[in-house]
Amino acid sequence: MKYVLMLTRGAWQDDGTEAERGEIHGGIMKWFESHWAGGTIIEANELQPPDTATTVVLDRGSSTIVDRPLLEAKEAIGGYAVVDVADLDAALSLARSFPMPDGKVEVRPVVER
Amino acid sequence: MFREEAGRLTASLVRFLGDFDLAEEMVAEAVAEALVRWPVDGVPDQPGAWLMTTARNRAIDRIRRESRYQDKLAMLASLPDTASREPDDRLRLIFTCCHPALDTDAQVALTLRAVAGLTTSEIARAFVIPESTLSKRLTRAKHKIVAAGIPYRTPEPEEWPSRLTQVLRVIYLVFNEAYLTTAGDTVARRELAHDAAWLTAILVTWLPDEPEALGLQALLQLHLARWSARLDPNGHIVLLQDQDRSTWDQRRIEAANALIERAGRFRRPGPYQIEAAIQAVHCAASKWDATDWAQLLQLYSLLATHDGSPVVLLNRAIVVGQIEGPEAALIEVDALEGSLGRYYLFHATRASFLDQTGRTAEARQANQEALRYTTNTAERAMLLDRLTDSPH
Repeated sequence: MKYVLMLTRGAWQDDGTEAERGEIHGGIMKWFESHWAGGTIIEANELQPPDTATTVVLDRGSSTIVDRPLLEAKEAIGGYAVVDVADLDAALSLARSFPMPDGKVEVRPVVER
Repeated sequence: MFREEAGRLTASLVRFLGDFDLAEEMVAEAVAEALVRWPVDGVPDQPGAWLMTTARNRAIDRIRRESRYQDKLAMLASLPDTASREPDDRLRLIFTCCHPALDTDAQVALTLRAVAGLTTSEIARAFVIPESTLSKRLTRAKHKIVAAGIPYRTPEPEEWPSRLTQVLRVIYLVFNEAYLTTAGDTVARRELAHDAAWLTAILVTWLPDEPEALGLQALLQLHLARWSARLDPNGHIVLLQDQDRSTWDQRRIEAANALIERAGRFRRPGPYQIEAAIQAVHCAASKWDATDWAQLLQLYSLLATHDGSPVVLLNRAIVVGQIEGPEAALIEVDALEGSLGRYYLFHATRASFLDQTGRTAEARQANQEALRYTTNTAERAMLLDRLTDSPH
């Protein structure tokens, strides 16, 4: 089954020294590379910070452009990965292994036709 | 008999159909048909096989009408005539129902529906919630199992301890719902408590080497043994010290003691075994004054190392009160105000120790505070009694 892992930004991205952040980032990159090589990850991207987001609101023929992210949440999405694994347990253990010190990972199944 | 078979049949059908709703519905229809036909035609030689064949035929009819399920039809044709006698299927079912990706309310409802075979209206009545709410909860949970790909299997070894803990927790929640609440129908609650005990008993037959499952079984038996002594004819709570101990079910108590011993041989203590041991100490005392407080203090201290929740510490403080007196107990109780300030038993306990030290005005205030934090009718009645009894 395919799942999208939606990764939030964490406090670690604003705390600590440049070197500490660099080390964590390196671990994250290694995580992506190994799962990519193993064929588990189909697609993945890190997103620019939410202050770069633009939202287009569609309303029956008209549209408005807004200079902000979709959700003004503390837990902004910082990246995502599309994975292909056997079942939810496998997807959850993948999410649990994501090497960020704090933050959340939403695991959402993809509609497959 | 029906419940025993229904759980097993549902488990077998779910495995083959991969569809919770359909499996459950078909088993329910087969049982309904049996209830009409068996009294007329007589009970078949192999009731389980009869139910299985009927449920399977019903499923085939249904699936034929929905042609897109061709592959499921093929699976059904390969289904054996009898439900699996092995525990694996139902064990898979209970672990799926208690999967951590479902919230606890959903886990409880699914377990009662799919494993214990209760109807939605029975579950709704026991939990005093509208049937429509419960139906929605079940529908959402079953949909999530299929759509999110929650696997139908027992957990991997590395997840086993936490997953088993959750299954035991769900069963204990069901029991406590029946045991602690006094809202709703008394008969329905008593049945729910027995359902929880039955679930634990079958879990123990499937997992004979899990001491915590044995501990939970013992704990529930010890509570059930004192069930009728706990409420007076008016539905008011009778405290442990005032209960008529001659009405306690000694046979259940002995059975529970044997379970505790069996669990102890594994040398893997855990909170349910310790709680069971605590209740066993109470059950062993011929009267309140004969309670072995020193042993209880040891057990509560041990429990606190496994489950450091403030409620455990409150219970420990009560035992301290019996050994060292109310002044010593009050010091321990007062230390818990930060975490338990909104818990009625914290205030009720404080009230009784204040009363014992002669601080009646403060005791009265604490009882009033306790009243603010419970909506349970029987608990309120007990607190109101105290307030009217106490001297002004």
